[in-house]
Amino acid sequence: MLDFLQSNPGYLFVLATLLPLASFLLVLVGFVLWCVFRPYRETEYGAVLYHLFGGDAPGRTPAYMALAAIFLAFLCSATGFGLYTSGFYHHEKELQAQEHAVGLKHDAVLHAVGEDKKHDTEKELVEAEDAVTEIKAAWKNKWTARFDWIKVHPSGQSDPERGTIIQLGFRIDNLNALMFVMVTFIATLIHLFSMGYMAEELAPTVADHQVHTEDGHLHRRGRFGRFFLYLSLFCFSMLNLILTDNPFQIFISWELVGICSYLLVGFYYERQSASNAANKAFIVNRVGDAGFIIGLIIIWTYVGSFNFEDVFRQIRSPQGDAQGILTTGAKFVRVSADGEVASGKQSLHIDPNGDRVVLFPREIVPEHYHGVSPERGGHVEVADSPKKDEHGSMPYWVLVVAGLGVFLGCVGKSAQFPLHVWLPDAMEGPTPVSALIHAATMVAAGVYLVGRCFPLFTPEVLLVIAYTGAITLFVAATVAVVMTDIKKVLAYSTVSQLGYMMLALGVGGWSAGLFHLMTHAFFKALLFLGSGSVIYGCHHEQDMLKMGGLWRKMPITAFTMLAGVLAISGIPTFSGWYSKDAVLADAIGYVSVHREHTLLFLLPLVTAGITTFYMFRMWFLTFAGKPRDLHVYEHAHETPWTMTVPLIALGILSWVVAWGARFWDASQSWLEHEIHHAQPLAVAANFAQEQNNARNLHDMVGLLALGVVAVGLVFAALVYYWRALNAGETKEQFATVHRFLSNKWYFDELYSVLLVRPTLVVAHWCKNVDLYGIDSVLHAVAHATKWVSWLEGRFDNGVIDGLANLLGNTTYKVGVSLRNMQTGYLRSYVLFLVLAVVGFVVALSYVVMAAAGQ
Amino acid sequence: MDFLYPILFWLLAALIGVSAVAMVVTQNIVRAATWLLFTLAGVAGIFFLLSADFVGATQLLVYVGGTLVLVVFGVMLTAQGPFINLKIAAGEWAIAAVVGIGFFSLLAFTLINAKFDFPVPEQSQVATTAPLAAGAADGDPLIGDKGTGHRSLAASVVLGEALLGFEKTAPEAAVTGPRDVMAVPAPLPGMPPPSSRQARLVPVLKRQKMAYLLPFEIVSVHLLVVLIGAAYLARSKRRRGGA
Amino acid sequence: MDAVGLTPFLLLGALLFVCGTLCMATKRNAIGILMGVELVLNGATVNFVAFAYFNPVFEIEGQIFALFVIVLAAAEAAVALAIVLNFYNNHSTVDVDTAEELKG
Repeated sequence: MLDFLQSNPGYLFVLATLLPLASFLLVLVGFVLWCVFRPYRETEYGAVLYHLFGGDAPGRTPAYMALAAIFLAFLCSATGFGLYTSGFYHHEKELQAQEHAVGLKHDAVLHAVGEDKKHDTEKELVEAEDAVTEIKAAWKNKWTARFDWIKVHPSGQSDPERGTIIQLGFRIDNLNALMFVMVTFIATLIHLFSMGYMAEELAPTVADHQVHTEDGHLHRRGRFGRFFLYLSLFCFSMLNLILTDNPFQIFISWELVGICSYLLVGFYYERQSASNAANKAFIVNRVGDAGFIIGLIIIWTYVGSFNFEDVFRQIRSPQGDAQGILTTGAKFVRVSADGEVASGKQSLHIDPNGDRVVLFPREIVPEHYHGVSPERGGHVEVADSPKKDEHGSMPYWVLVVAGLGVFLGCVGKSAQFPLHVWLPDAMEGPTPVSALIHAATMVAAGVYLVGRCFPLFTPEVLLVIAYTGAITLFVAATVAVVMTDIKKVLAYSTVSQLGYMMLALGVGGWSAGLFHLMTHAFFKALLFLGSGSVIYGCHHEQDMLKMGGLWRKMPITAFTMLAGVLAISGIPTFSGWYSKDAVLADAIGYVSVHREHTLLFLLPLVTAGITTFYMFRMWFLTFAGKPRDLHVYEHAHETPWTMTVPLIALGILSWVVAWGARFWDASQSWLEHEIHHAQPLAVAANFAQEQNNARNLHDMVGLLALGVVAVGLVFAALVYYWRALNAGETKEQFATVHRFLSNKWYFDELYSVLLVRPTLVVAHWCKNVDLYGIDSVLHAVAHATKWVSWLEGRFDNGVIDGLANLLGNTTYKVGVSLRNMQTGYLRSYVLFLVLAVVGFVVALSYVVMAAAGQ
Repeated sequence: MDFLYPILFWLLAALIGVSAVAMVVTQNIVRAATWLLFTLAGVAGIFFLLSADFVGATQLLVYVGGTLVLVVFGVMLTAQGPFINLKIAAGEWAIAAVVGIGFFSLLAFTLINAKFDFPVPEQSQVATTAPLAAGAADGDPLIGDKGTGHRSLAASVVLGEALLGFEKTAPEAAVTGPRDVMAVPAPLPGMPPPSSRQARLVPVLKRQKMAYLLPFEIVSVHLLVVLIGAAYLARSKRRRGGA
Repeated sequence: MDAVGLTPFLLLGALLFVCGTLCMATKRNAIGILMGVELVLNGATVNFVAFAYFNPVFEIEGQIFALFVIVLAAAEAAVALAIVLNFYNNHSTVDVDTAEELKG
């Protein structure tokens, strides 16, 4: 096992993925057995088995198992990450050296004099090139694997190798290795936190004060184990999502995390609000997933593979095509039609505004690719159904639709405008769930997928992504300003931060966006856990207006949360500072090239101030000042160590996680550097100038952002700390705006009018058609059937059953009478024996005599 | 002396019949044992009449002397007050009587109507035997009484030799009787010619050897096994609690 | 006086046989049943010997079989008595009606 993992360290991540699944399955089997034995708990052995699997009160075993599994997964991923990074630099160095050697050999070939010398140097060149290929292959074998999963057999396929196999696989790069460490680390802490937070669920009966029944509150059994069951399933799904190398497997995990989210949002499903929120989350995500499926279908149809590498190699030009008119690789090559040259083949010429995109051959060596070059006059021959060494093409607009479809899936999952409405409602779930799923990991999966599919997106799609992110971050931040529920503030903050990530990806800041994803995961998990700690300490009070001054009661929570607030606000040296500056730098880099999209920089800049304002507002309202509700204040207490330890750990990490060698330099973050290694070539190909400008403007933007943040901070302190401005009066003055924001920009109402009500009306029509049209026919048929059945039943009962019963009764009666003959007395058996002999002989003699008489 | 034979037979038959019926009828187990003694003794007498002296002696020794003593022991061991007279219902008596009479009638009817064809011994041999039964006169091929006492000793010898499997020689044929007759017997005057069934029996007569030693030994071993088994079964055991 | 033929002997055997079966059928005492069995065996022995006498072919075999039957009867009596004693030990009675486990 260890040997295998040493030679194939990629499987460490597979192991990390499967560990939570094992925990899930074990707990599930335990639950099933518990359910099986529950009816027999009154019996002797049944009770033993019943108590073995938990008994009446939920046991802590599932929590320990889930915690152990995720902690082991964390160890695996951390080891894997260590191996990857250490190996990566070595590999890079080796590769560079070898490529340098190839260059030298190349020169030698050019300058060689004499036939023999030329031959020798050419041979050496080939050997050096083979060595490069070998190094690459060895590295790839170490960190990727693919398995055939489903074979499909489409009819009429000219190339049987194309689009026939769906593969499972994984591919480790810097991005998902980091994601693994991040997810497993945060999940471990949240498991630990949950053991404290969910302790109430350990009781045999739990009273839910938010559900009113006829006789007071609802009483139900504790669901401690179930919570960890769901958490384990979620961890498995999330890790599988970031492990894999194809969008199909991502889609499966996508749905699995979706169902986990559904189950956990509706964890208190007796509450109407919780079950509504769960449904809303699920249904809104369906809208996004519809787009995702459309994208997947388009990819499958035109490319015939789901593997990211395969797809990107086909839709973007090869890297080594430096001699052609495509000066940089990894670009879309748009073409226009010239005309048909042969059956099934077309000649196309390169045209920057062409209506088709070239699909490159599946099997080419990128370094030696000369397919589209000036020698051929910028023409390319494409086949309708290309073989593995032929070019193909697809309509450009279809590619745009595919990108938009995949992005729509991400919009749903990452709660972007206009599908952001589900995330604030999802706060109905337990707070650790909000921290893990709805802040740190699952909602970030949308951003992750956009990052993964980046080479698939055309500039139009990226612009849509950028604007979606910009709108989302602004809208959500404005709503967060007026929320009074501590978790709702954090929820809108999450939506807003996800908007930042999307914006960054849309403007070409690939590593900035994913960098922000990482840092955000830490500080947002911290903030949510802090809010969970506050809610727990205040006995499930979530309204910030009833809190205040709590830092005296719960200092650890207060100061760890302050670290989170500072991080999200972008205070220097806190992790958020690095990532937010990177995002803003990329935004201004983009705007500096595309002046017409200035909004893409202004909105995030302003929102940085708003973010600082609402986060400090939250902190001041909760922890600072005087207690506003003495009842809440007096009963508040610091939470147990299971909850404070994760807070402290996350608090420290929120501060230091992004530090680099020079931690006072915002552009020198270690984390961003690591992520940058995984950046696809397409980013550099499409955004070379923007990236360059971003680097140059980074410091300037940092100062600007700091100024905005300072304004937000001062404003928040003025209103909520020094009380120089009265919040109530301000609210009165801006009553219209406040109402607009409190109602969350009326999105729910808008959807209700636009979508929900029409759907209900149509549903009513359908129902009436069903009820009066189809049902009446069905009822008539049913009545007729019933009548026939009645007749048939009479016949069955009277005649057939009568005969059968007669036979049975007769047999029974004969049996009963014969039974009396079985006296059990030896002597009666002797008599029967004799009687039988007599009877038999007499009968036989009659037969014999009759035979003789004939 | 011939007239004595039937008299003896009928006397013994009467003794046996009365004793057997009495044994069935009596309710007292001790009396039943006594009646059984008479029955068995009578049967031994019948064996003597049938010139099977050895069998008769064995009957007396083994049955009357051994088995019956065993039975009497059993009675003595178990015959405590209530068990001496275990009565059954009158209805059962009636049924048993009807069934018994019916069974006996059936057997008797069958036996009386049965016709037995036995191979007949040689002329010379037959001459020494008793005259044919009266039944032969009315065409019934039943062969009657064949001889009297003077053959009985020889019969015991034959029995012993047969057990050992000795081969008989011709001069002894006269002594050893019909067992070694080789030729097909000529039909007696007044008898129907031999049927095909008799012809089929001829090869059987030719058998020279017939050893019963092995079965005899098997029976001895069997007896031994039975004795051990009986001793094992009947040994006094510690009773289990509550039995 | 007429010589006695085979049939009277056989009838005597039949009588013994029937009496034996009746004895088995009417006795509740286990030993009584054992006696009935002895009677039945005796009836058979009489038949053997009678046939041995009247059938020259069967002379030796008949007597030897009779001997075997006697010996087997002795063996059977020994075993049966052992069983009866065991039965008595277990049930404290020799009434076979208490052994009615075969009752339907």
